[in-house]
Amino acid sequence: MSKLSFFDEISRNKRDSLILAVVVLLVLGALAYVIAQLLFARYTALFFVTALAFILPYIYGTYTYGDQVVLSAANAVPADPQRNAYLVNTVEGLSIAAGIPPPKAYIIENDEINAFATGKDPQHASIAVTTGALQHLRRDELEGVVGHEISHIRNYDTRFMTAVAVMVGLVTILSHGLLRSFWFAGSGRRSERDRDRVGILIVVGMILAIVAPVVVRLVQLAVSRRRELLADSSSAELTRYPEGLASALEKILKMNKGKMDVSEGMSHLFFVDPNKHPLDSLFATHPPLEKRIQILRSM
Amino acid sequence: MNELAWIGIGAVILAFLIAVLIMVYYYNRIRVLSNRIDNAWSQIDVQLKKRADLVPNLVETVKGYMEHERGAIELVTKSREKILGAGTRQERLEGERELTGALRSLFALSENYPQLRASENFKLLQEQLDGIESKIAYARQFYNDSVLAYNNVITTIPGSWFAGGRTPHEYLRISEEEREPVKVQF
Repeated sequence: MSKLSFFDEISRNKRDSLILAVVVLLVLGALAYVIAQLLFARYTALFFVTALAFILPYIYGTYTYGDQVVLSAANAVPADPQRNAYLVNTVEGLSIAAGIPPPKAYIIENDEINAFATGKDPQHASIAVTTGALQHLRRDELEGVVGHEISHIRNYDTRFMTAVAVMVGLVTILSHGLLRSFWFAGSGRRSERDRDRVGILIVVGMILAIVAPVVVRLVQLAVSRRRELLADSSSAELTRYPEGLASALEKILKMNKGKMDVSEGMSHLFFVDPNKHPLDSLFATHPPLEKRIQILRSM
Repeated sequence: MNELAWIGIGAVILAFLIAVLIMVYYYNRIRVLSNRIDNAWSQIDVQLKKRADLVPNLVETVKGYMEHERGAIELVTKSREKILGAGTRQERLEGERELTGALRSLFALSENYPQLRASENFKLLQEQLDGIESKIAYARQFYNDSVLAYNNVITTIPGSWFAGGRTPHEYLRISEEEREPVKVQF
């Protein structure tokens, strides 16, 4: 059986997180350097130290409390063990099957069928499900969806995704900062040589500011699509009933209108993409629903 | 002593260290997997206890509505008493099996009492029971998964060299009648 491959998946996820973190830190360093050169050419070192003093607590904070931020951004409220017994029981049942501590259950008031999981490790994990999903899905379908989210938690996808969200956020913020600093770089009296230097920096900076967010985003998307398929098959292994998940996806295909009003930065966390995009395949966070259904049905 | 001798000694020490590390790894791995089986067993136990604990509440709720079904209600109460008074594991398992059947027929009969089915309390009980039944199933599945992982390690090379006479665990098997999920919704 594939028990061993799960350990492989987990260590692979931890390694991927590390590689991504290093790459993004380098990109961030480059961005910060260009900003520093443009604005405070003489105090570059001082600027770096100050920037680090802000960035490191930010990374730590978002990594530790990122789940809370995500949950409140999605308007998720804790599920009531009495009134939402259906959800709480399902989450507990599948966590038993996966051998992890039961994640906290949350509810999102929304008619679409959707769900997401978050948390830096299985001990600090949460699962949020929409009211639409609770209304429209049968028990075996809901178990399939919850099993998918539980797999994300057990395989440490949620840690990776949290890390990715933090990094993408940072790169975006700094790129904006960089574009803004061009405004100030142009002003003030400078010598001839200085102006040349600033000219080159602006060109490099422009490219960085435009390319960096796109590259980081594409990496995020490619990884996200692979992890979704893996979570689907893990869910089928937990419930021993791929048809439940397949028919949940079919309902989503029919009923969801793709209007959940979730920010782009969070859409990759969800069970199915909460927004519909015209440019589907390259920028999609999820594989097409039809493909996911087809894979599940062929198991 | 010449260089070659030193290299030889070094190689022997290195090989010895690696062997010790491998032994420690497998010793711990087998222990961890064996503990997981114990833990999985207690998970099943917890859920079975929760189910038995729901019975008095259920009987209390149902009694007023289902006056003509005394027999079915009594069967549920009796099988719970059997579980509580069980001395051996065999008796306990028998009681659990009886409780499964008794609950199933009680819920099937409740179909004839729309007023009962409409009451909030009954709906909640039914959901709790559904939830517990599926948790029992998942706990059993996890137990068997844990047994599989353990058996795989102690029966394949190199794990079997370090198993120290441990024998593979038994899987939990369920009887045919139990295999059908408890369907209380029709």
